[in-house]
Amino acid sequence: MFSQSRRNLLVVFLTLLVIFEMVAYVTTTPRPREQFFQLYVLGANRLLSDYYPNNDPNIMVGDLVRWHVGVTDSMGSVQLVVIRIKLANQTIRPPDDLQAQPSPAPLITEFRRFIQDNETWEMPFFWQIVNADMPEGSTRILEMQINNETYQVPGLTALDGHNFRVILELWTWEPQSETFQFGWSSGNERRVAWLQVWFNMTSSARQ
Amino acid sequence: MLRIRWFLVICIVLAILLPLTAQTSSSALQPTEELQPRFSSAFALVHRAEAAGATREETADLVLLLNKALQLSEEATRLPGSEAQRATLLAQVDETLGRVETEATRLEVTASQRTFTNRVVAYVIGSIAAFLATLAYVCTGHVWRKYRIKRTFQMRIFPKVK
Repeated sequence: MFSQSRRNLLVVFLTLLVIFEMVAYVTTTPRPREQFFQLYVLGANRLLSDYYPNNDPNIMVGDLVRWHVGVTDSMGSVQLVVIRIKLANQTIRPPDDLQAQPSPAPLITEFRRFIQDNETWEMPFFWQIVNADMPEGSTRILEMQINNETYQVPGLTALDGHNFRVILELWTWEPQSETFQFGWSSGNERRVAWLQVWFNMTSSARQ
Repeated sequence: MLRIRWFLVICIVLAILLPLTAQTSSSALQPTEELQPRFSSAFALVHRAEAAGATREETADLVLLLNKALQLSEEATRLPGSEAQRATLLAQVDETLGRVETEATRLEVTASQRTFTNRVVAYVIGSIAAFLATLAYVCTGHVWRKYRIKRTFQMRIFPKVK
């Protein structure tokens, strides 16, 4: 039917067709990549330092603490993120990375934002303790001000005012369940991002 | 008889309570506030537009609008008293989300058409490239053969010199 040379030509054409169509497929199909978020806290000068006024982790009532909190979206799509701010003492459990469980510490406030892929959302996070109670041998934080908004703290006490923590948790909107979830889903895995910064409050005013 | 009745009652109570406790523990994992359904549907439309192939630059405006709606919604929540002001803000939220939905739907159609066209063009270019490469192969073979024939006819026979 076909001569040998035509058959050879057909084989060459089909081989080249397969190669070029594979190239077309690879160039038009988006490559799968790792999906993740980054969460960070920087100090007053947007560096990994100066987290406390005068570099003293012993905070007083009215001391303004200047931090910068940021989230980077590397999920490959627009995401709705929430940064939940919690205040804890030494005994309250931190978030559980393995079980992807948030901390049971009382929620003070939260910040929401839609962010694009490869976008970093950074916001100033200026806070101070505006009201605290100091009964015998302990400190109880009653009110906290974050970005000029005052929030009530549901009676959080620490022995001698040591080892309070500000916990920042990253929550994301899960379109399937239509709820906010702690962390995010990456394939079949659940991943979380959270931070905590320790501080003391041993006296209410500077000497 | 009485014991069996008590046993049945306990079983029924447990059957009712167990799913409830299971629900509570799972809701502890995925808790808190639900977004307004309107936000959720607008966000889903933006995701669909992205999945259809909308670029980062194209979705940037939608993200701006979504953030504006979010900000207005938060302002409305924080507003003390004044129902009228709150209603105005909520109407603005509604309007903004409406714009997002319209724009996202339009973007999804445009992006999916563009993605389809790009794909078809890429495959067609692949076929044309294969055809041209085959043609180049044939031409090269032809030229090579002609060259070999020419070389053969250019050959000279010299007697061996001892």
